[in-house]
Amino acid sequence: MPMLDIKNLTLEMQSSEGAIKALDKVNLSVSSGEIRALVGESGSGKSLIVSAICGALPNQWNLTADRMSWNGENLLGMSVQQRREVMRREIAVVFQDPQASLDPSATLGEQLEESIPDEFVQGSWFWQRAQQRKKIAISTVHKVGIKHHKHYLSAFPHQIPADIGQKFMIAMALVSQPKLLIADDPTRGMEPTTKTQILKLFTRLNQTRSLSILFVSHDLLAIASMSHSMTVLYAGQTVESGKMKHIKKRPLHPYTKALLDSAPSFRKDLPPKSLLPTLSGSIPTLQHLPIGCRLGPRCPRAQRACVQTPAVRKIHDHSYSCHYPLHMEKL
Amino acid sequence: MIQILVRYCTLFVLTLLVLAIISFSLAYLFPGDTLENLTGLVPENDIQRAALERQFKLDQSYIFQFFYYVGNLLTGDWGYSFTSGLPLREEVGIAMPATIELATYAMLMALFVGVPLGYYAGIRCYSTSDHLINSVSITTYSFPVFWFALLLILIFSLQLDAAPMSGRISLLYDIEPVTGFILIDILLSDIENKSLAFKDALSHIALPTFSIGAIATASMIRVTRRSVIDVKHRPYIAAALSRGLSSWQIFFRHILRNALLPILPLMAIQITTLITNAMIVETLFSWPGIGNWLIQAIYQRDYPALRIGMMAVSFVVITLTILIDLFNRMIDPSREKYERATV
Amino acid sequence: MPQFSLYDEEFHPSPWQRTWASFKASHISMLGLIMLALFVVCAVFAPLITPYDAVEQNIDGLLIPPSWVTNGSISHLFGTDALGRDLFTRIIYGCRITLGSAFITVVLAMLVGVSLGTFAGMLRGVRSSIANHLLDALMAIPTLLIAIIIVAILGTGLVNSMWAITLALIPQFVHHTRSFVRAEMKKEYIVASKLDGASKWQLFVHSILPNMTEMLVVQSTLALSIAVIDISALGFLNLGAQSPLPELGVILADGLDVAYLAPWNVAVPGMAIFFMVLSINIVGDGLRSALRKRVSH
Repeated sequence: MPMLDIKNLTLEMQSSEGAIKALDKVNLSVSSGEIRALVGESGSGKSLIVSAICGALPNQWNLTADRMSWNGENLLGMSVQQRREVMRREIAVVFQDPQASLDPSATLGEQLEESIPDEFVQGSWFWQRAQQRKKIAISTVHKVGIKHHKHYLSAFPHQIPADIGQKFMIAMALVSQPKLLIADDPTRGMEPTTKTQILKLFTRLNQTRSLSILFVSHDLLAIASMSHSMTVLYAGQTVESGKMKHIKKRPLHPYTKALLDSAPSFRKDLPPKSLLPTLSGSIPTLQHLPIGCRLGPRCPRAQRACVQTPAVRKIHDHSYSCHYPLHMEKL
Repeated sequence: MIQILVRYCTLFVLTLLVLAIISFSLAYLFPGDTLENLTGLVPENDIQRAALERQFKLDQSYIFQFFYYVGNLLTGDWGYSFTSGLPLREEVGIAMPATIELATYAMLMALFVGVPLGYYAGIRCYSTSDHLINSVSITTYSFPVFWFALLLILIFSLQLDAAPMSGRISLLYDIEPVTGFILIDILLSDIENKSLAFKDALSHIALPTFSIGAIATASMIRVTRRSVIDVKHRPYIAAALSRGLSSWQIFFRHILRNALLPILPLMAIQITTLITNAMIVETLFSWPGIGNWLIQAIYQRDYPALRIGMMAVSFVVITLTILIDLFNRMIDPSREKYERATV
Repeated sequence: MPQFSLYDEEFHPSPWQRTWASFKASHISMLGLIMLALFVVCAVFAPLITPYDAVEQNIDGLLIPPSWVTNGSISHLFGTDALGRDLFTRIIYGCRITLGSAFITVVLAMLVGVSLGTFAGMLRGVRSSIANHLLDALMAIPTLLIAIIIVAILGTGLVNSMWAITLALIPQFVHHTRSFVRAEMKKEYIVASKLDGASKWQLFVHSILPNMTEMLVVQSTLALSIAVIDISALGFLNLGAQSPLPELGVILADGLDVAYLAPWNVAVPGMAIFFMVLSINIVGDGLRSALRKRVSH
């Protein structure tokens, strides 16, 4: 029974040229205790999915879905209050730029203590509660690996380095003890050492607390090492979804194969000056989305049938939507 | 910390020095004979002229005269007015608190009415109430202050007879000027019918304060609204919403603090406009403030009064501006150099 | 088979076109623009529109009420004042003088302010920070005070009041230009131009100035509304334009003597100033929103 279950999510916007479908029948599901990677190039709509789950979509978008449920309850049918409760306690989001997500006029400690839910803090007098809040803040900050808590908790957001900032954002997300952590490209623009620290932190959190993580990114190297399952998104359509080791061994969709091939490999037995295989062209803009399968114009295996959107087919947990998938010539 | 204080003190002294130089050189720029302008006396022959020059140190070099002038200013010998013959120190001492009182009440009105209204309009931006508040504020802001005051006089004083149109208090009451602020003086004095006197003073002060205060409030509403709208669209507010913080927490902790901080530097410019408007409105209401006094002085070409008046008003305005800047610098943690918010 | 294009020709409007499109979309801004255009037309074509002469006194027709009151006549649209001069003519000429002199004041202040500000912005070091702080402090001196001093030195008159208001508006332009130039100098496209070998003058004219136009337009509308109010205020206090020059503040001051007998003498010039400033403010606000929307989209 998956925790987060999204089926056929469509996001539409009315513009001067007509209705634009930024997300077209997206399927996504996260089970308990797994790390799912949501992979796609810039412009494929990953951040829109995160906003849709949070309920923070701007007004001009129209959302329709066959199913969008959290632990069995329909997210779309909830009232604003209930939605906010879910966001507060059970889902947590870590955004891209830690400095932009922090209030510049308050210290880090204040912001962290503010996010601690009231249920965790007991004490009849307010100073007892304040002390407990401080204790919880310090312990959470230690758990994410920030050692000098006194210095950092009393600093302002513009005084801290980026990696401490991102770890702090993870701490803020953890303090309400969520069941799902959505990480929207948290390691963008970081150096490899910092990136590894953050990714190791995510893995550790997943193993020790069985925290499910939805990791949205386009950095395949990082994802391949730590995620259990992956969903590939192209221009607002899910092209492939399944367990990580299956996809790595046998990618069924041409786009997934292109993605996996284009990750630079540091193998020693590569011949010198071997080409980095890429897919020609670039992701289409919202105004010029191709009909049918959106990879059509770029796909090397595209044929006439590709002007119709392919249906989703499933083989043992590995689902793909392509008329001419790889490794399946005989079918 | 000490560094900032020292820096601002030096700035203050430097600015005052520049002002003193300007006000000193005014004596030489005014048309007419310098000696007559400074003293008001017309020497009849050369011997008198020489004696007068020696007395007022006009035969020495400019630098010496400047130091003499600054010395006079600091010791309190500000000279005598042409028209009334009274020492200028007394006249400015009576007129200045009157204007400061008017400006203070108008500023308080702008702060306590304008900022909450602007905040409310910003939070509910693009809704009907926001459009209403915005249109009212832009209309009020476009009124020329003297016409607004005139309309108020015509409607309230002449038609409805609800408020008096000149002076600070009715002539029946004789209040001892202790601080110069009439409302405080009434409370401090020991006449029998304090509450009547207070009500009378309030009715005198109502129209001038409202005419200046309305325009200052409109300006404050526009600035606050723009600042709140800017802050509302920042990513950290969206991040706080995604953490599930309640609206009250977000509004009153994050938006309020971040919206109010950029407004503070603008208060300095507000004070300038406020004092200009106060000076204009004083002539209409015969309010005995420094604006009225200066304008009478310029009608009668009372040059010593003009010099000292200019020095006094600039001194007050610059002190307030520098104090606000200093305050701003000390309470705002996130800026190394400041930029002003826009409207 | 006819060639068909898979992708339509894209229409990419330039930044100014986008600003104009979003300005046009707001009805209130367009209304303000029409009002402002009306005032400008009055100002430019004043001698052609007005039926009478602005200073010609008519002893027989003193204090004739405006045409919408029963006593009034259509030949004097807004009535006449205490000396028999037609108020409609005086108001049209008044718009010309007030708006025209405010415009000249703003242009002059902009030229001087932008040059000083750019100079201060491209400087560096202790000198510039002292100059800055000094200028910011001096910016705090009230307009009326500067006007009084200039009148004391040079005497009354419209031109002298224009000098005073120019002096009062310059610090604003200097401050905003300086902070803008300083912020732009740190950006990478300036560094790229410098590496290409551009001199400081070329940097200013080709890289910084085109980006500065929007800020200048916004500041100019603000300064214009301040200038209109200040010129009419000085005229009202008899420190600026003098009677019988038909400046709007002077007309208001003249009408003050007969305010109770003939309220239109006070109401109409005041309304003229009010609507002029209102239209400038609405257009300024509309421009600012349009520019902001362009940046955020």
